[in-house]
Amino acid sequence: MRKRPNILFINTDQHSWDALSAYGNPYLQTPNIDELHRNGTSFRRSFCTDPVCAAARSSWATGLYTSETGVPFNGGSLHPEIQDLGQVLSEGGYRVFHCGKWHVPGRNVRESFQTLYYGRRDIGAGGAAYYDSASTHAVADFLTNYEADEPFYLQIGYVDPHDVCEYLHNHEEKRIPNPVEQGIVSEDALPPLPENFDYDERETVLHRVCRRVDDALIHAAILKGIRDWDELHWRYLRWNYYRFIEKVDAEIGRVLALLRATGLHENTLIIFSADHGEACGSHRMFQKFTLYEESVRVPFIVACLNEGMAVEKDRLDETHFVSGVDLFPTVCDYADVDVPEHVQGMSVRPIVEGRDVHWRDYAYIESNYWGRAIVSEGYKYVTEYKPKSEEDFSPPGPDAKQLGLAQLFDRRNDPGETENLAGNVIYSEDVKICRDKLLTQEVKLHRRQIVHPSPKRIILNWGERLRTYWEHGR
Amino acid sequence: MVDSNVHHWSFDYNYGAQNPQFAQELIRTLRGYNPKVGARQADAKQTVRHVYNILPNYWRGYSRGDAEGQLSIGTAIIERSKDNNNLWHYSVEYENATSGEDLRMQFRCGDEPYRPLTDSWHVDVRNSGIDAYSRSTCDGHLTLNREVKLRINGTEVSAGTVDAGVELTCNWALFDVIPALVQAIQASDDGVEIAVLADLEQLRSKSRLGFLESIEVPFALEGYYLYGIGLLPSYWWLDADGNVAIASTFFETLVLGESIR
Repeated sequence: MRKRPNILFINTDQHSWDALSAYGNPYLQTPNIDELHRNGTSFRRSFCTDPVCAAARSSWATGLYTSETGVPFNGGSLHPEIQDLGQVLSEGGYRVFHCGKWHVPGRNVRESFQTLYYGRRDIGAGGAAYYDSASTHAVADFLTNYEADEPFYLQIGYVDPHDVCEYLHNHEEKRIPNPVEQGIVSEDALPPLPENFDYDERETVLHRVCRRVDDALIHAAILKGIRDWDELHWRYLRWNYYRFIEKVDAEIGRVLALLRATGLHENTLIIFSADHGEACGSHRMFQKFTLYEESVRVPFIVACLNEGMAVEKDRLDETHFVSGVDLFPTVCDYADVDVPEHVQGMSVRPIVEGRDVHWRDYAYIESNYWGRAIVSEGYKYVTEYKPKSEEDFSPPGPDAKQLGLAQLFDRRNDPGETENLAGNVIYSEDVKICRDKLLTQEVKLHRRQIVHPSPKRIILNWGERLRTYWEHGR
Repeated sequence: MVDSNVHHWSFDYNYGAQNPQFAQELIRTLRGYNPKVGARQADAKQTVRHVYNILPNYWRGYSRGDAEGQLSIGTAIIERSKDNNNLWHYSVEYENATSGEDLRMQFRCGDEPYRPLTDSWHVDVRNSGIDAYSRSTCDGHLTLNREVKLRINGTEVSAGTVDAGVELTCNWALFDVIPALVQAIQASDDGVEIAVLADLEQLRSKSRLGFLESIEVPFALEGYYLYGIGLLPSYWWLDADGNVAIASTFFETLVLGESIR
């Protein structure tokens, strides 16, 4: 019987799907993640379950969507009865380790994993400049000393490029000159504005209230601080974002070098992904929290640095829709550990090994409790549930009558998602097909009532604002 | 030197109503050193010691550890002296209460403006966190082919190769490199290229040093910037005597508090 592999899950934070030099982005250099791509299968249709840290990470930890985990916001709390990946793998005979960012509120990482490093004070959302290098030191200590007979599962949570959030927060309180005024970077050296810098204003109420209006529910202070940004400011945001990614790529490079040097690469499967993306100027947006592509689409690579495992290498998979819920069953599959009942994801192992497998034909995404999206071959469908008149704290859906506004984008002809086709009668049948997919998917979910006071408070406050917008248009 | 609430955008932690205020803490720290002890005037035979107070910058999530009533999140101490073979011996201590990292770094540099790294170097890291990791060591050297070799906890890895014709120095030697390169930097439109081995472990090729601007905060300072591949911009402020009085990154502001020779 073949020895079960070690499994190394390396994750970055806020890393958009196309921000890798291996995928042809000329504005940054990521030689180490590129190496993973050359030694593995890159899933190009990979989507987070929910574009915010804690929510997306709750799906990694459980294989469930966020209306099932109890973590629809950063302020959520994982339902205590749900088993996490560390617990399941431990029961399956693996030694399980965690290093770096965790950010699954409601679950003590030290109870589910042996922690190599979790900050002097527990790592929260940000702070890569402090934590990422220390995480690599901790992993170095681990890899150079690992002598146990049992296989290990190690997850490394790097914080960068999430530090781009702090770059943005800094603009809340003062005007920082653009880079040409500073004299630091010439205009020629800056990435251009994204092609979808402009956007169709016919957005869902949720998008508007959360991210557009002056008193937006999320990071209104940043929004106010960057209202008068010129083109160079936006391009400098992109320039800085790419430097953050290069920085974390270098950390990953040290880990990969040590994996080779210790010989552990011989029997270690590596999975690389990110919790969510970064808008980085697309749709005049920053950070995540929306259902636009840059916010929800993430890299997902399965690799092995030797030839001993059946991993198809240097391969771009442009076919299969992969979701954050797939991490859990994929790891269990390689570990030969049973997947708990109700886990929503599917193992990508057959695809990585070049075998035929029946697969879903869409990705399902939630956002900010009420937001929903279906990404399919031809269209991206974005919609929202209206807040209930009396909140019962059961995550909404499936309920066609309660759906609010919709956005529909033609993925083939409008990949930048700049024209909302949802109101055009020509596309009414396509909207219906997408809506049916959404409602059918939601029937499969095991939604649980939110009981923790923190997310309940957010649901009440935000729900009230959203109701006001629906009733009074403001 | 005045205690006014003056800032520059590159070192301007002014979030909320923290007490003490950043500007007060910055000025208080700067008062601690004698600006007449300049890096340019350092006596080659004696040890030069600069002590920096590490204050937060930009990020609100920092932790001061157990220290209440101050903004400081750590200390950086840089000592260097020149031996009879014209080699500069550096000893650096960097302690950060947020990460728990305590780095001790020893390295040697040639007696040239770029302070090129020479022969071998050593890093000893300890961490005060409560988890499994508590210590890591790294010994490094530059091969004849200009490859950076590191031996991390006894396991050898490559950290990359330095481009031909580009000098490799350590970020902690920049406190001497920048003062020594002032004229060259100011004479160039787009700065000078340099390779930096950050904390003696991370190779940052194609980095650029350039002139930013002159300010009067809190006394005359000349600003320089550094950035590169994988290296976010940092800002280095020199006093009239060539001391790096303030060095800031996105997350930290190193403020010179003590200068001894």
